[in-house]
Amino acid sequence: MAFQKKNTKKRFFQRRKVCRFCADSTLEINYKDAKALRPFITERGKIIPRRITGTCAKHQRKLAVAIKQARTIAFLPYVGKLS
Amino acid sequence: MRRYETIFIADPDLQEDARKNLFDKYKNLLVQEKGILIDFDDWGNRKLAYPIKKKARGHYVCMTYGGIGVLVTELERNFRLDDKVMKFMTVLLEKDVTASALEAEIAAAAQPEEVKEATPAAAQPEKVKETTPAATQPEEVKEAAPAATQPEEVKEAAPAATDEAADEVTEAAEADTPEEAKTPETETAEAAQEEK
Repeated sequence: MAFQKKNTKKRFFQRRKVCRFCADSTLEINYKDAKALRPFITERGKIIPRRITGTCAKHQRKLAVAIKQARTIAFLPYVGKLS
Repeated sequence: MRRYETIFIADPDLQEDARKNLFDKYKNLLVQEKGILIDFDDWGNRKLAYPIKKKARGHYVCMTYGGIGVLVTELERNFRLDDKVMKFMTVLLEKDVTASALEAEIAAAAQPEEVKEATPAAAQPEKVKETTPAATQPEEVKEAAPAATQPEEVKEAAPAATDEAADEVTEAAEADTPEEAKTPETETAEAAQEEK
């Protein structure tokens, strides 16, 4: 059953996710720009894994560092509120 | 010499003159420790993402400067002692810069806006440096900066200033991709449900 379920799921076309920072080289990852980092954290404040956002490994590393720096200086929350 | 960037959050309830004193204190300290202040950016009162010392707001200041590690440790030691500074963070921006390159940058920043726009971004700041790392004292630097109004120097130094403009660029680019911006958010909702 599980096998079948997986199969049906695969039939749906899923758009290939591309790294946003690779697609647009003018985008820069900067910890000071909290607004740009927002899409990459959950409302709880967790960093979203790259399998979901589609960010490439290189940029995810930079992103993670930037988010952590932004947390340190209170641009982003460590723990977000559940609204 | 290295290029650092320090952001510190000052107490938002300070009086105007008390705040000015505080800023001057750190500016002087920087000069004392043989640092070169490139940019002193006062962002004003901003909302904090989480309360610090039971305060929801903070007065952000961003300093960019050239210096050595000793300067950073000294600066941070003072931040820790100071009650008026709620939080601080130092980030290393560049590992190897020469004093002369930084001076040129300051001179470029002092120029009127028109000159900056006229010179397109081409070279990186590291390439600008001329091999004359004369042991210039910070006081001299300040005097020399406005004096260097020769067009040649301006052209060389202007690309460095465009780095700071990169922040604005990212914001503009963000607005261009509303479709892609949606995807992580919707996924977020799914992730949140899974958590429950």
